[in-house]
Amino acid sequence: MEDKGQGLVFVVDDEEMVALAIQSFLQLDTDYGVRTFTSPAAALEVVELERPGVIIADFMMPGMDGITFLRHCRDVDPFGTRILLTGYAGKENAIRAINEAGLYYYLEKPWSNDHLKLVVRNGMERSALFNELDTRIAALEDANQELEDLRRRLIAAFL
Amino acid sequence: MTEQEFSLPQSATRPVGDTELASLVSQAKLATLGMLLAGVAHEINTPLGAINSNHDVLRRAMSKLQDILADEVVDEDELEEVRRIVRALDAILRVNDIAVERMATLVGSLRSFGRLDRAPIDWADLHEGIDSTLAILGHETRAVTVERRFGVLPPVRCHPDQLNQVWMNLILNAAQAMPDGGALTIETEHHDDRVRLVFGDEGCGIPAAAQAQIFEGGFTTKQRRIGMGLGLLISRRIVEHHRGIIAVESEPGSGSRFTVTLPVSGP
Repeated sequence: MEDKGQGLVFVVDDEEMVALAIQSFLQLDTDYGVRTFTSPAAALEVVELERPGVIIADFMMPGMDGITFLRHCRDVDPFGTRILLTGYAGKENAIRAINEAGLYYYLEKPWSNDHLKLVVRNGMERSALFNELDTRIAALEDANQELEDLRRRLIAAFL
Repeated sequence: MTEQEFSLPQSATRPVGDTELASLVSQAKLATLGMLLAGVAHEINTPLGAINSNHDVLRRAMSKLQDILADEVVDEDELEEVRRIVRALDAILRVNDIAVERMATLVGSLRSFGRLDRAPIDWADLHEGIDSTLAILGHETRAVTVERRFGVLPPVRCHPDQLNQVWMNLILNAAQAMPDGGALTIETEHHDDRVRLVFGDEGCGIPAAAQAQIFEGGFTTKQRRIGMGLGLLISRRIVEHHRGIIAVESEPGSGSRFTVTLPVSGP
């Protein structure tokens, strides 16, 4: 089973101090790997390769807003968990985030570390379960296919 | 721009009463105050959030260290944990440096913008005024790349708080003309007894027919905002009160350039 990156968190915020503060906390208090990005474009370049279990993104970033960024992430890896961490994005944008980017959680700044940890942990479990389910379904399909082949061969042998 | 265009007209100054101008400036200040406060609150929220989180990390780190030190013997695993804690502490110190400096700059800019500590008329560094205006408009100009092409300017005799109001109007207009980003270029230069400041954007531009109206007041394309359509009128009044001129060049589709020319000797 491919489980690379299941313990990996991406933090994407154009404010480096926010990204670094979250990284320090998660590194101190959890065993997840954490990578920070101040540019959504740079994060997108590696998201497919590294498949982080959880992506935390700011909303207002120059170049690409957080919802557009998370939507691209979903296209690349639908099983990843996407979290928006924002000062204030407004109701319309929150709805947009849920509908367009398949948002898992909407966190407001300033955030509570305990709450953040809980959301990240649940999000990580959720991604792992999705991935596991996907692997199991693939295995089931393979087994089914094998069974079908066997059935055909049996029929062919006896007819 | 030629020397002729750079010179000031001798009699273009329309007399504007000090009281009238002061009243217009306070109206404009009130109209923008709510927006400014919201922006500044947002700007402070970012470093505050980082420091808040770091403070919590410090508390957790302290408790972990106390747990480790409570044992008589510190084993290799615990030593590794201590190293991990030290790495986190190192990172949060760096973040706190940035965050505290950001808040100090913001507060300094607010003070400087409001000119709380200065005489109403003063010899002022216009660059300082522009920089503090940019700092408190950080939230509004977030999508925009600001390029400072500052020359060497002498101190200019002026009402610094009024000129800050002009810079604010011009910067806000430029930012609002480029909601999806672009460059705001601010050029300054000194020539004999005059200084010139140019605010160029890459926004939607202003149709030729509208260019004559924009300084007259009541002209706006912005919706749902109180006190709109006064910004450029007030800016013109302030600039004229300083015996200067404000002018616009614009090409719809390729942006606008607002030029303010002021005499160094002031009003």
